[in-house]
Amino acid sequence: MFRNPPALQLVTAVLSTGGLFAEVDFNRDIRPILSDHCFACHGPDEHERKGKLRLDTAEGALKGGDIGDALLPENPDESEIIHRIFSADLEEVMPPPDANKNLSDEQKNLLREWIKQGGEYAEPWSYRPPETSPVPPARISDWPATWIDNFILDRLHREGLEPAPDTDPVTLVRRLHFDLIGLPPSAEEVGRFLKEWKDNPTDCLEKTVEELLSSPHFGERMAMYWLDLVRYADTCGYHGDQDHSISPYRDYVIDAFNDNMPFDQFTREQLAGDLLDSPTIDQKIATGYNRLLQTSHEGGLQAKEYLAIYFADRVRNLSNVWMGATVGCAQCHDHKYDPYTARDFYALGAFFADIDEAQHFRVGTNNLPTRRPPEIDVHSKRERMRLAELGTKLSSHTLATSEERKALEAELAALKKRQRKTMITVATKPRTIRILPRGDWLDESGPAVEPAFPAFLEKPGNPVQSKRLTRLDLANWLTDPAQGTGGLTARVMVNRFWYLVFGSGISKRLDDFGGQGEAPVHPKLLDNLAVEFYKSGWDIKHMMTLLVTSRTYRQSSLETVDLRERDPYNRLLARQSRYRLPAETIRDNALAISGLLRTSYGGASAKPYQPLGYYKHLNFPGRKYSHHADDRQWRRGIYVHWQRQFLHPMLRAFDAPTREECTAERPRSNTPTAAMTLLNDPSFVEAARVFAARALSEGGPSVDSRLAFSYQEALSRTPDEEEIRIMKQLLSTALREFESAPAAAKALVSTGMAPAAGSLEIIQHAAWTTVARAILNLSETYTRN
Amino acid sequence: MNEQLINAINRRTFLKGSSYSVGSAALAYLLSHETQAASKWKGVLDEKLHFAPKAKRVIHLCMAGGPSHLETLDHKPGLARLNGKPMPESFTKGQQLAQLQGSRNKLKCLGPQHEFKPYGECGRLMSSAFPHIGSIADDIAVINSMSTEQINHDPAHTFMNTGSVIPGRPSMGSWLLYGLGADTDELPGFVVMTSSGGGQDQPIAARQWHSGFLPSRFQGVKFNSKGDPVHYVNNPAGVSRDNQGDLLNTINGLNNLLGQRQNDPEIATRIAQYEMAFKMQASVPDLVDVSKEPKHVFDLYGAKPGDGSFASNCLVARRLAERGVRFIQLYHRGWDHHGNVKGAINTVAGHIDKATAALVKDLKERGLLEDTLIIWGGEFGRTPMAQGSGRDHHIQAFSVWMAGAGIKGGASWGETDELGYAVAKDHVSVHDLHATMLKQLGINHERLTYRFQGLDFRLTGVEKARVVEEVLA
Repeated sequence: MFRNPPALQLVTAVLSTGGLFAEVDFNRDIRPILSDHCFACHGPDEHERKGKLRLDTAEGALKGGDIGDALLPENPDESEIIHRIFSADLEEVMPPPDANKNLSDEQKNLLREWIKQGGEYAEPWSYRPPETSPVPPARISDWPATWIDNFILDRLHREGLEPAPDTDPVTLVRRLHFDLIGLPPSAEEVGRFLKEWKDNPTDCLEKTVEELLSSPHFGERMAMYWLDLVRYADTCGYHGDQDHSISPYRDYVIDAFNDNMPFDQFTREQLAGDLLDSPTIDQKIATGYNRLLQTSHEGGLQAKEYLAIYFADRVRNLSNVWMGATVGCAQCHDHKYDPYTARDFYALGAFFADIDEAQHFRVGTNNLPTRRPPEIDVHSKRERMRLAELGTKLSSHTLATSEERKALEAELAALKKRQRKTMITVATKPRTIRILPRGDWLDESGPAVEPAFPAFLEKPGNPVQSKRLTRLDLANWLTDPAQGTGGLTARVMVNRFWYLVFGSGISKRLDDFGGQGEAPVHPKLLDNLAVEFYKSGWDIKHMMTLLVTSRTYRQSSLETVDLRERDPYNRLLARQSRYRLPAETIRDNALAISGLLRTSYGGASAKPYQPLGYYKHLNFPGRKYSHHADDRQWRRGIYVHWQRQFLHPMLRAFDAPTREECTAERPRSNTPTAAMTLLNDPSFVEAARVFAARALSEGGPSVDSRLAFSYQEALSRTPDEEEIRIMKQLLSTALREFESAPAAAKALVSTGMAPAAGSLEIIQHAAWTTVARAILNLSETYTRN
Repeated sequence: MNEQLINAINRRTFLKGSSYSVGSAALAYLLSHETQAASKWKGVLDEKLHFAPKAKRVIHLCMAGGPSHLETLDHKPGLARLNGKPMPESFTKGQQLAQLQGSRNKLKCLGPQHEFKPYGECGRLMSSAFPHIGSIADDIAVINSMSTEQINHDPAHTFMNTGSVIPGRPSMGSWLLYGLGADTDELPGFVVMTSSGGGQDQPIAARQWHSGFLPSRFQGVKFNSKGDPVHYVNNPAGVSRDNQGDLLNTINGLNNLLGQRQNDPEIATRIAQYEMAFKMQASVPDLVDVSKEPKHVFDLYGAKPGDGSFASNCLVARRLAERGVRFIQLYHRGWDHHGNVKGAINTVAGHIDKATAALVKDLKERGLLEDTLIIWGGEFGRTPMAQGSGRDHHIQAFSVWMAGAGIKGGASWGETDELGYAVAKDHVSVHDLHATMLKQLGINHERLTYRFQGLDFRLTGVEKARVVEEVLA
């Protein structure tokens, strides 16, 4: 007998996924337990299988193993599984004690209850193509703004929860700006939004969203995320971490999002642009995707070893990015938790066997940038458009003055010089790919494999291929809902769009939908979104619009103590989320508030101030960093030079990844290092002193009006009395201090290379710089709410 | 006095110590919520260690570039006899070589380039190029039977630091902070310093002290020998400590108002982190300011203040150990001796020999050696075969030594074959070394795990690792 009735324990056990169901759901409740505790020895990997028992399929469980009947439906007491997990005999109990995988009482009871209810298996949710479910009716009929809201509301009601009230329009407009373009709204933009909101909230919201999606900054914001996934960086990562030539690929990604390129085309161009009929320059640039992995030409490296390293890197990234899978785990053995075999791993990697990467072992140099052929010299799409425009203008003979002509000619000459090298993919004769026994690259005894899709994902009706499959076939398979896994890919991607505007995915894990991932909180909603995505023609702007015009999105982020206890990670969305901005956005935000931000689009990477000697440990060649001494200094974070091994300390401090591997979700840490960065990094001090100068010159005559101006610019609101009192106190102490130390005042307002603020009184400027530093360091300033 | 009370008093001192104080409401709130904001991480093992710990901290002296075991710790008279003769093919057939790969048919032995002498009461034979390390022979235990899986510097370091060559795994120091926290809330718990000289300087990538999939606050902080010792630790030009303190109080006071409105625990954490940042701004410069150390200490280490040398780093390492830092890692980047191994060993010995011994002696004198584990070694060894006058990278055998914290002084473990090519007896893997280190810290290496991508990862990987009990007292 158990101390508590099983049903009660079920409630506590499934709360972690937010469910409150008396009926056991295999994928939600049972699979995670089996996967975590049993599959390593009783799972897909037949080489490691113990006692001839397989528990990841119903077939295997019903067949049993050496010990007899593992699972007898509706009869837990006769099932060996139950006997073993409850056993007190250390020789007998499962999992064995030395596995350090003990089951909790709740988990044991859940397994028992599951078998009692029939012990049925269900196909893993993420391998089942998404299907549209009917939209549930809404019990508060005027709440939903889109069908998304019906799903959210339905679940909330089943949990006995109500949605949060709508947030105020100021928070909403800030939220929209940060989420869609990664920049704060200007005071004017906030004013306009508030006015239009008053007239007609629905029109105002739609219009604002449309405007933001048409902004070139939308592409920059989306690219920031994509570049994390595909591990884009400006350097090669291994050994000397030399620069490599790839920035046109970054601009291609930004353009693709801005042009709303359908995601299937985006996929094809990156994986296989070179295999398309007469590929365009942009399609060639796109194939830079295949070149983003870390590479080395270190003296003495073993070509075969590195080919194996690169091979595995590609499979890991491809499967993380498009399949939401960790196929990389099958490098040495069949996957322990998912149905991928080692053969699948090598067969997937074989799609890339036509990329000649051995050549850079020979020709890679210790120059900056190093050589990584094949490379081509290109202008970005925008640059090419401008070149064509200039050409037409100059040949049209309608130019008014010779000055005008001169200016255009100068621009043309400058633009021509801006050509950049970029790594691309050029198919060569595929090399032979062998299965490496236990991943050992020295062992060449394994069988050769041809490119193939993972066996268990093959559609039964598909014809057997007679010709060798290519990267283009792979891209098509990934995005074809009918003949390939397009539905699965769509589900992986919409889960990430959701993360970008709600702070976490519908399924928490953004890069692993496998057995060790987490079943989605709203599986039907996720599926409907996935189908909507591919049926819309893989229209990303359409999906983003759908998400941010939902009522769910517009909720306040405030939470009650009760709600925090019920749903600490906000999985049910009874409110919006609140979180610190990403690294690049923290930079962009401070620069935008100060007025320093330069919004030029695309181009070679930018180099902001960086601590002296930070690259001292790089060698081959030794590195000296010089920050850009012109407008490039104040470019957006997405354009900052991404040195894999020594990423800019500011970006590191706020959790930007080194981009050695796919990063689908960044941590949001809260550290003293981050505090010191915001306080003392010259980029932020300079932003503060320029912001202070604006408060003094544009913020009216009084302390109160200047504080009001500063709050309005930074936080889109006016300060309250307590805030004014505290800030005034800071201002007066700072004034006193700088009056007695004018040289210090001069030093502070001279931080950075931005032009000095002409006629401003230095003591005043320094004291106001202190106020501006305080504002830039407020939690509210760099929190998306 | 209990810790909460101490925190409360510290906090009052902090708030009142500067010329400005926050609004009374905000101040009252701060003072009544000491414990909520106090954020010292005690580690997941928080006093629930698996064994009685011998070590409280680790100093890893990483000799980067691949020190030749044949000129340091592994005495091979057999190799001397074959000097200049062809390398017997039975040793190298089918083996992985680095730069020597192309000249496989002409491999010649290079005899040890430095004489070995007995040192200490244990009488262990050690290279005479390192007499100071010889003088602590009875304090150290040598392992001559290490091997690794990686033949190039960068991945071999990654393997040594993270137990894996796949990028994105946490380094040893990060694992320790995650498991144990640190005995300081004014300094980072995992500190890295580097120095150079003696050979071509190998790049050292920041992935070597990265926290990988562990939270970023567990990542190592690299101290710089020039400029700010820690990035952004100094106030901006023109900003005094008072001015910065006023600023901090204002930020925290206003954040506290927001925290009350939004009822958001993240804001309480942020307030605590700003306080710690302010403390670090004082304690880091104090730490690296060695000017008050007496002359005899400088003489002992052979250090000059602010020269960025390995000797200076050793001195700072002692100060870090005194202040509760958990994992201290010093890289010396001068050990890649493809040519002129004889001369290069002399040069690098000039950089590290005296200071290494001084660190051990100084810690011992201060009673710190008994709970400080010192690990000395590189990422791999070097070939018995000549590469001109030098040696190539070699993964089949290398040597390390350990000292302090329950290590059996004078002990030796493991052997290579007569030419020092491969391990002949009592092999010790990198994972074994990790397991041994963790054991001394009170940790069962199989039970310090972290869930990532659905798997429970550990520093020592999935294969069985063995604690090298033979070098433990």
